[in-house]
Amino acid sequence: MTMVLAICVAVTFGVSIYLMLGRELKGIAMGVFLLGHAANLSIIAMSGSPILHTHGAEASRAPATLEPISEHLDEQRHPLMTGVNIKQPPVLEHHEPMTDPLATIVDPLPQALILTAIVISFGVMAFLLTLLVVTSRRTHTLAIAELAQEPAPEPDGGPAQA
Amino acid sequence: MNTDLIILLCVIPLAAGVLNVFLINQRAASRCVSIASFVAVLALSMYFLLYTAPLTGADSVLVSQMGGWKAPFGITMVFDSLSGLLIAAAATVALGSYIHSFSTLDPAVERRYYHPLMQMLLFGVNMSFLTGDLFNLFVAFEVMLMSSYSLLVIGTGMKQMRQAYKYVLLNVLASTIFLMAAGMVYGMFGTLNIADLARIVAEIEADPARSLPTGFTALAVMFLLVFGLKGAFFPLWFWLPDTYYTIPIAVAGLFGGLLTKVGVYTVARLFPLIFASDGAGGISLTIQVILVVAAAFTMFLAVLGAVSQHEVRRILSIHVISQVGYMVFGIAVMSGNALAGCAFYMIQHMVVKCALFLCCGVMEKHAGTDDLDKLGGLLKRDWKLGVLFFIAAMSLVGLPPLSGFFGKMVIIRSGFGEGYWYLGVVGLVTGALTLLSMLKIWSYGYCNPTPKDGYPVQTEPKAVIAGNRPAYFGIAMLVLAALFLGFGAEPVYTVAFKAGEQLENPKAYITAVLGDEAYATAESLAAEHAEIQVDSVQGSPATTDVRTDERAGSPVLAEVATHAPAEVSP
Repeated sequence: MTMVLAICVAVTFGVSIYLMLGRELKGIAMGVFLLGHAANLSIIAMSGSPILHTHGAEASRAPATLEPISEHLDEQRHPLMTGVNIKQPPVLEHHEPMTDPLATIVDPLPQALILTAIVISFGVMAFLLTLLVVTSRRTHTLAIAELAQEPAPEPDGGPAQA
Repeated sequence: MNTDLIILLCVIPLAAGVLNVFLINQRAASRCVSIASFVAVLALSMYFLLYTAPLTGADSVLVSQMGGWKAPFGITMVFDSLSGLLIAAAATVALGSYIHSFSTLDPAVERRYYHPLMQMLLFGVNMSFLTGDLFNLFVAFEVMLMSSYSLLVIGTGMKQMRQAYKYVLLNVLASTIFLMAAGMVYGMFGTLNIADLARIVAEIEADPARSLPTGFTALAVMFLLVFGLKGAFFPLWFWLPDTYYTIPIAVAGLFGGLLTKVGVYTVARLFPLIFASDGAGGISLTIQVILVVAAAFTMFLAVLGAVSQHEVRRILSIHVISQVGYMVFGIAVMSGNALAGCAFYMIQHMVVKCALFLCCGVMEKHAGTDDLDKLGGLLKRDWKLGVLFFIAAMSLVGLPPLSGFFGKMVIIRSGFGEGYWYLGVVGLVTGALTLLSMLKIWSYGYCNPTPKDGYPVQTEPKAVIAGNRPAYFGIAMLVLAALFLGFGAEPVYTVAFKAGEQLENPKAYITAVLGDEAYATAESLAAEHAEIQVDSVQGSPATTDVRTDERAGSPVLAEVATHAPAEVSP
């Protein structure tokens, strides 16, 4: 599963960078779209067990690290957080039976992060597309080469050199 | 005092911003609401600063847990001396440039949601200063960036739009990297709370048997890339001069004062606490080299750029970068004093730089241009503006009784004291070149005779002065604040030194956020290893559990975790 995710992330990043290197603003906008997706996917891939948890024996001394409930239920912890199993990626294998739902509940935080990030990238996207519409209405072109050589002298060039 | 009140610093601008959306066609009303919000934020942050000033240790850090969730699980807002100083300065700068915009901003532009956007920008900035959580920091950055994108294209001049693409795309890229890095932090440490991360790092440092996870330094460099881009550090500064060149001058003043400081602040907050660690109590060599090189080149190359320019706006924009170099210098030295100097320099630079940009706005009103070749004789036309500009410029340069001097003195002194003499030398040379470029504006713009064929736009001096009263008021306010920072440097520095102390020694921050026991493990570990090598689990009933994890699919199926339940606390 990790491998599949890793390949997905790599391909999405590759495609988005390819699009962003294009000479056309629409393609760049699509690249920005995909870039957000790639980042979100990579968070899913990274959200298995914390490295520190498996890193050294003393790691679990850390008060904030969440233990699987099967080990020991700690009443001191926040009641809502005791059922959380941080040790697995938040993707169920297809053959896995849901006999004990509490044991297979995954850490919800990565999903929360991704959800927030999706909403934010949605907003950025809306802004970018609006900017594109305004630009194309003004100049009747979206090609960077043409935009860069607009009348006003630009000592440092337009976004083409950015 | 109820510490939850610190959330007001975010809620007030947010509420004012939402209110302003409904007042969009009533200029007077939305101006009143906005000014009230800025003043309220300023007054509140001053009050919190004065309240925390006599307190020490964990008491001096005000913490609010959103929704009552305990620290590592919920969102934490933390108000310490550094955030307090910066929020107060941010509110001052916002107020000054906002009042200035009454006379310099086109009314048609003003109706395009200028007032709500200003409030949302301050909301984002305040939230990034206050937040104690990495992911929330990302959200705050996005709020700030969205407002800055919109302010950048406000009025939609074609020149503005073209530069906006550069700024927007670069920042989207940086935000994506930030998002991934935050995800990686969660993958490594299982937490995103800054205090909790600092605690884990402090415990690892105190225990020679443990080391930081692989890739920790790479992660730190990713963060440095993101914040360096926002803060315009050495190789990542190229977007800044072009962007600030095109926007309305009041907005340019605000951006020049505020936005880069947010990037610098996050580095100053996260790196001494967490990311500069090498896992053994020292500073990671990689990070140190990057910071030192970035500081030296940012200071020196940018000031050369400023000397070579001939338009006031460009000189000032490139100067923003050069001054950021001093702050990075302070962070690179990473001692308590240097960080205090960095904090002081940040707030003085916000105020002074914004004042200079606003002066430039009035100069443009007089002459219709900011090209120094076409300027001259402004001192005779308008001596008040000349005095204001001169004080602000000399504060930036750092002439002794003025504010810049005290910032640079502490940073450069601690640089020499800690063995970074080369950075100190670069800083001094940069100071001299700053003086040169400021004197260039002074002599070309103010002292030279008026050009024979007049300015590109002919104006009546009296009419300009009478028509721009709010602008003068805004500048005067900021210059007064700069004078206060210079002549009242001592009280400000008592707070700044406390900020430096809090950054250098994470104990107060961690115990304030996580509770009293949180730091005990790190301390007891340090004590144990300071005495002799004692078995660290001695005295407490250790349990060992062997767990098999088939789902992870990794070759290492079994892992051994030893823990002392006595020390596991929420």
